[in-house]
Amino acid sequence: MPQVHTKYFGFLEYMPDNLYDFPAGIPGFEENKQFLFIDQPVTKPLVYMQSLTDPGLCFVALPILCVDPEYRLHIGPEDLKLLRCAADRQPRIGDEVLCLALLSLAEQQPPTVNMLAPVVVNLKTRTGLQAIQIDTEYSHKQEVPCS
Amino acid sequence: MLLIRRRAGESILIGEEIEIQILEVAPNRVKIGIVAPPSVPVMRKEAHLTRQQNQAAACTPDTDALAQLVKKLTVFSLEKAKKQDENNPKIT
Repeated sequence: MPQVHTKYFGFLEYMPDNLYDFPAGIPGFEENKQFLFIDQPVTKPLVYMQSLTDPGLCFVALPILCVDPEYRLHIGPEDLKLLRCAADRQPRIGDEVLCLALLSLAEQQPPTVNMLAPVVVNLKTRTGLQAIQIDTEYSHKQEVPCS
Repeated sequence: MLLIRRRAGESILIGEEIEIQILEVAPNRVKIGIVAPPSVPVMRKEAHLTRQQNQAAACTPDTDALAQLVKKLTVFSLEKAKKQDENNPKIT
């Protein structure tokens, strides 16, 4: 089995099936085109989004419904096409797409997640992108509800 | 901030090389054309915010800070479940 050098867990073996393509990377990290999603029972519900090519690049994320169970996707037509999702409706979170909010933890500040631009992955095609939502008022810096 | 009223078909110049054209005005959105030299990055503000936020997220955290957050999240969801139980007492 192939191995990946991770930021938090040293070397890990992974199934090629667990690798997701991000043809455009994500904003600010366009050269990273493949990511693995790692979850560990002890740090549930966190999900680690590890770059395959850069061991030092690993985002930490929360499943978006864990932050806001009422969250509604508003993905623009171009992003739906890139995700290879049906163009006439929003995909269902959970069975069609994985939807994660990237977490920022700065010292002395409450943890925040980016709800304006969740990472969305089509589970069938294994293609993902960071989908900046259109016509919504979700914040790029929403406090994590934990206090 | 400078305010200018424009109609569809009109445009605004910024310096010598940047032109903002108002192409279409609909009730809740406008279509804008931007002519600028390749050296000027043009992007939606949300994209810029997301890029900045990603850069902050990438230099996130040591494992201790993460462990603390996990603890808080677990306690929070347990308390929430407890509150729900109290609000909807089970009939035994």
